[in-house]
Amino acid sequence: MSEPVDLRRRRAATVAAAGIVFLALVEAAAALIAPSRVPSDADWRAAATELRAAFRPGDLIVAAPVWADPVMRLHLGDLVPQKVAARLDAGRFGRIWVLSQHGAEAPETADAARAHRARHGALTLLRYDRAAPAVTYDFLDNWQKARVLRIDPARGELLCERQPDRHQCPEIGFNFVKPQLLEMGTTLRNAFYAQPVGGATVAVEFADVPIGRELAVGVGLHHVWLRKVADGTVRLRVLIDGAEIGRTEATNRNGWRVDRFDTSSRAGKTGTVRFEITSDKPYSRHFGFAAEARG
Amino acid sequence: MTPRHRDSLIAATLAITVVGWMLAVEGRQGIGRDESQYFRAGEHYWGWFESVWQNGRKSLTRAGIDPYWGDNPEHPPLMKVLFGVSWRMFHRCDCTGPERVLHPIPIIGKHRTLPLFARESTAFRFPAILFAGLAASLTFLFGRRFVGPLAAAAAAVLFVAQPHYFFHAQLSCFDAPITTMALLMGYAYWKSLRSPRWGLLCGPLYGLALATKHNAWLMPFFLVMHYLWIRRGDLRKRRLPPVPLAFISMAVVGPLVLLAVWPWLWPDPMGRMRGWLLRHLEHEHYNFEYLGENWNLPPKALDLKLFRMTFPFVSTVLTVPVTTLALAITGAVLMLRRRGLHPQEGPSADRPSWKRPGADVDLAPGMFLAIQILGPISVLALPAAPIFGGVKHFLPAMPFLAIAAAVGLRWMTGVLVPLVRVRALPYALAAVLCLPSVLETRRSHPDGLAHYNLLAGGFAGGASLGMNRQFWGYSVQPMLPWILANRPPSNAIYWHDVLADAIAMYARDGRLPLGIGNLGADEAAIPNSDLGIVIHEKHFSLFEGRFWDSYGTTRPAYVLTKEGVPLVIGYKRPK
Repeated sequence: MSEPVDLRRRRAATVAAAGIVFLALVEAAAALIAPSRVPSDADWRAAATELRAAFRPGDLIVAAPVWADPVMRLHLGDLVPQKVAARLDAGRFGRIWVLSQHGAEAPETADAARAHRARHGALTLLRYDRAAPAVTYDFLDNWQKARVLRIDPARGELLCERQPDRHQCPEIGFNFVKPQLLEMGTTLRNAFYAQPVGGATVAVEFADVPIGRELAVGVGLHHVWLRKVADGTVRLRVLIDGAEIGRTEATNRNGWRVDRFDTSSRAGKTGTVRFEITSDKPYSRHFGFAAEARG
Repeated sequence: MTPRHRDSLIAATLAITVVGWMLAVEGRQGIGRDESQYFRAGEHYWGWFESVWQNGRKSLTRAGIDPYWGDNPEHPPLMKVLFGVSWRMFHRCDCTGPERVLHPIPIIGKHRTLPLFARESTAFRFPAILFAGLAASLTFLFGRRFVGPLAAAAAAVLFVAQPHYFFHAQLSCFDAPITTMALLMGYAYWKSLRSPRWGLLCGPLYGLALATKHNAWLMPFFLVMHYLWIRRGDLRKRRLPPVPLAFISMAVVGPLVLLAVWPWLWPDPMGRMRGWLLRHLEHEHYNFEYLGENWNLPPKALDLKLFRMTFPFVSTVLTVPVTTLALAITGAVLMLRRRGLHPQEGPSADRPSWKRPGADVDLAPGMFLAIQILGPISVLALPAAPIFGGVKHFLPAMPFLAIAAAVGLRWMTGVLVPLVRVRALPYALAAVLCLPSVLETRRSHPDGLAHYNLLAGGFAGGASLGMNRQFWGYSVQPMLPWILANRPPSNAIYWHDVLADAIAMYARDGRLPLGIGNLGADEAAIPNSDLGIVIHEKHFSLFEGRFWDSYGTTRPAYVLTKEGVPLVIGYKRPK
């Protein structure tokens, strides 16, 4: 009885030991081979040449995995201006080019169909197409048309003054709304920079907005070190013609959060869109938001 | 040749090989923020010794001490003193030329030195590299308590050939030296259980450990845990175990040694000691990427706390070469299952004494290694512990992990050799099992911080998992020629996380010209620059945004990568 048990143990031990030797050989081989499986400069140049020839204005170019983004911009950064690089999201783009390595996929293409694939060494150039909703109104592009108010319970509505680069509200220096490139959730976003004011509501209102089927709204808190200083939540309420269509909030944990509010019941009409910003703990809350009406 | 002589020869060979390997390659590794400050502090501390020579007793007063020892008092002095002494002894002195302005202490005349090293930074780094060599020897010698010479030598190789350790071991910093001290303390304590001479020695060694880095505060806890384990029989009988001479010596002599070697404490020993302790107990949480999240505060939510607690374990699993891990797990299982298998670790006498407190009990080497491995790692699992620096904070676990791996290797030899009766098989087996760690280490250099193992998928896999890939701006060194080639006429260069001290040392090393521009680290300086870099860390995107805004482009002029993974992004203002 004991002999078969010993034998089984010996076999198991042999298999385990051989397994570790095999592992060592695989690991050693990987250490030697893996560096050669990295896209070379020539691969990037070849993929960029092909992409440039087929690129159309309005296309989006992304890298997968996302950490390769700086290398992608090194080769194609002139086709990825700041407005595109710091976009709200990929919702408005109908054609998305992906420069992929290690078989990675781009989350931007989740609902798109692959239309093109070409290998350039260790790099794969992919194009995805989809029927993207047209942007009926880009709120950031129209920042100067906004009406900005601070609503103070004791004093009512205080109108903020439009200046060359911002809407400046009265009496409180940090109470302004301006378009700015912000770091939110460690990503860069073109957004309205609008700090909340304790006990008051900061409202940003746009009249005659052509409403689409959805209103995409991104929110976040700017500046990694300033986020660290406090932990308050900033709330954003979105209204069309006085009726609330959605709420969202920015916290230290949310990063850059994008919500898509359904506006299909008002699609094709125009209306007044109002964003209301509040916070119970506004200290060091450098709030940012961006919005697009689409579809 | 006696076995003892043979072991000494192997230990010396290992040390020399490690020192030679590191000296051969350290020049490719850049200078981080912390290292550059220790260069400066080391030279300052040397300046104090010069002042003692010149000014005598006046240098022993507060006014004589603080100008020198007040530099970087948040870290104890031992390594910085050695860095300074090594620099003074071994650099090739061009100090009286224009570069004299880059020294933190006055250069009165040309230094007479033994000019071993072409670069000053190498002279500073030499003591840390010697400590790494010593650690390799000690790993072998400690390993010899449990396994034969071949497996013990493999332990030394598996310890040093870990990309993250190898990276830190070449720097004039404290993480590799404190690893050596942890190993030395562990070895001395182990011997002290049966030898009063080693018990006495534990005190001064602990003082030197305290003078190396604050990780030393934890060492007694780990040793006491082991001691209570081996004497658990006393505890069961509700009998106090003898207090070991080692612990008495550590408690009494240790602090005295620390005080003796740290002049900064002398004017106000208790006050300054308290300041040192508080500084680290209340240390700021710097930004650090882990599994895609940027961590810079202790988490408050339970789910984040639990997530955060996985950090040191996941980091270990993803950074130590996988074969080493597999061997260590095998060895750990074997050691935890054994009961005094090795005759010298079993009871050797009937009664214990405070001088030989482990004489009558099994020394439980498996538990000892388990505590030494899991102790430093577990401390970093506490949600309130800052995790910046990553693996370097629990490097003291690694030599013990390598010894456990050697036990696994010994077992494998025992299993496989009878099947293949070739005399050279044990050597071939050891070579095959060490090969991946050596190749991975070679592959990782000089970017060991960005390295992740086979399980993670290498450099790219680590990046995809959202693991930290660098800190303190060390990685810029290979970009220096590009920066020089593109130096703007305005000389307005933004260096981001590369400190002025690091730039000064690059200049002293001849890698940058003396007059190279530096606008400072503040992001507000970016619009004033015409050339600049961003160290590519998750929390630094803010800085890249300033380049986009002020240079009017998102297109970098240069991206420094390691196996395709970006490390530094260079921007040049378009004409």
